[in-house]
Amino acid sequence: MEPIQLVQSVIFGIIMGGIYALVAMGLALVFGVMNVINFAHGDFVMLAMYITYFLSLMLTLDPILVPLITIPMFFVLGIGVYMGTLHKIVRGPALSQIAVTVGLMVLLRNVTLALWRAEPKAIQYTAVAGYFHVGPFIFPTSRLFGAVVSILTLVALHLFLTRTKLGLAIRATAEDADAASLFGVNVRNVYAFTFGLGTGLIALAGALIMTFQEVNPLSGLLYGLLSWVIVAMGGLGGVVGVFFSSIILAIAESIGITFWDPRAREIIIYLIFIILLWVRPTGLFAKR
Amino acid sequence: MDKKKFLPTLAFLIPLALYPILISFNNYFLNVGTFIVIYATIVAAWNIICGFAGQLDLGAGAYMGMGIFITGILLLWWNITPLIGIIVGGLATAALGFVIGYPTFRFGVREVWYALSSLALVSILQKLFLVWEQVAGPVERRLPYFSGEWYLMRFYNFSVYFYMSLALLIITLLLNVKIRYSKIGYYLLAIRENEEAAEMLGVDVRKYKLLALLIYSFIVGLTGGIFVLIAGYYHPSLFDPWVSIQTAILGIVGGLGAIYGAPLTALIILGIQEYLRFTLGGIVQGLHLIVYAVILILVVLFKPEGLSEVFRSIYKKAVALKAK
Repeated sequence: MEPIQLVQSVIFGIIMGGIYALVAMGLALVFGVMNVINFAHGDFVMLAMYITYFLSLMLTLDPILVPLITIPMFFVLGIGVYMGTLHKIVRGPALSQIAVTVGLMVLLRNVTLALWRAEPKAIQYTAVAGYFHVGPFIFPTSRLFGAVVSILTLVALHLFLTRTKLGLAIRATAEDADAASLFGVNVRNVYAFTFGLGTGLIALAGALIMTFQEVNPLSGLLYGLLSWVIVAMGGLGGVVGVFFSSIILAIAESIGITFWDPRAREIIIYLIFIILLWVRPTGLFAKR
Repeated sequence: MDKKKFLPTLAFLIPLALYPILISFNNYFLNVGTFIVIYATIVAAWNIICGFAGQLDLGAGAYMGMGIFITGILLLWWNITPLIGIIVGGLATAALGFVIGYPTFRFGVREVWYALSSLALVSILQKLFLVWEQVAGPVERRLPYFSGEWYLMRFYNFSVYFYMSLALLIITLLLNVKIRYSKIGYYLLAIRENEEAAEMLGVDVRKYKLLALLIYSFIVGLTGGIFVLIAGYYHPSLFDPWVSIQTAILGIVGGLGAIYGAPLTALIILGIQEYLRFTLGGIVQGLHLIVYAVILILVVLFKPEGLSEVFRSIYKKAVALKAK
């Protein structure tokens, strides 16, 4: 185990962790505020990746600019999905929520399969392609760009949740929906907005991932489970918990890929997940 | 126990036992029929862990894969007949269920976290066998070609496999009835309704959840053993998360705890799905599963108790007509 190699894989881990944090944030928000179990989260990421691919091809647009279109689009899509399906069962049993979101997952998977076929798709051009050297270390530009955008977004989200009135209403609803509604918060609108916001974040995450990774209709499973691992690790510790969990997870993943086997990615992530559920079910950053 | 409770099983047995004759032993239809019966078996076994005990298990793909691998490896490496291999595969799968289930229930992993960790198990095993190249790796390991010998259990005609799966389905259904109306069944239902309350009343929650998991994983392991004989190869991709998800979908659409409703739903929906596959699937890839997903969402939103209620009311009407 060379020290340079180790530092390099930690650097890769931190960069990827920044991106994973944005992928998981939408789920953390929806699960934390609405207590809704969304199994389709990863498949919304997959859909966002496909739409980024499609729009960048149709409009000959750099994928890093596509979110300007897709974020509002996914915000509206999220509100539509919430109103159409989840609103009915937002206080219902966990099993119905899982069943409905599994239905959404199968639906999204096969809609993308029908539209784009099973062959993996990748974008053709982006301004942030390539990599640069700093000393002996390599920095892939597209991933670094993704991590920076993601961290800026998370900071903005954190400020939004802690400094604005709407953010306060969201946090109050997360704490106790009934009490919040007694204080004049329209819980229904807060839920719809939160789901839309979560889906909007997914649109950005999908576009950033698309700059360096290909997509196929089955990509959703990995991003979905990955997000759940991060949420389990972060507990309900808010933006900060999600951020640090992502970094820790991505560093572990990166070291495992470098020194064991690149195909072992899932083994490392999911083993951490299962053992974490055994030893610390409240997560690493839970407040209570 | 009341013998009448076993009667509806006959309603499954007779038409299915006649199926190969009705299609005059056509191999394509036998193949499709066997897969559907295998799925119905998995759904019936899943009913024990989720329908009775209320633990949303998404590990079916892992347990089926385990049965596939153990049976396949025993035959290919040590030339052990699948007649033994299938049973050993089932036992090994139950052992895996124990190794995972014991700490999971010991540390109180529940609901969505149980579902997710069992789904993660499928991916872990898939990648583990992919990386472990001495045993599996990325190449398909082929079983001996069709010879018709009983020792190798590789038949050109699939009717043997069909009747094996059918026998397993019937055993699973009988086991369901047996468990449902025994002390264990009532304990499991109590756990499903309210785990804390059951524990307060003196039910050993961990023990009975684990027991349900062991029975379920054993049966799913057996189906894997039958599957590998039909498929004729084993490969890490047979640890398939889709098996887990489809099992849960069929179980929920069929109705939780419905002993006959869930497997019947599996037979009907998978039959329709197969039909749609070669009618619609040729036009637009994936269209048959889009229909499927929409059915699932609609059933959960508007008929949360599942299709088994529909079957039950039809059955009652039929009985009432007969009484007139």
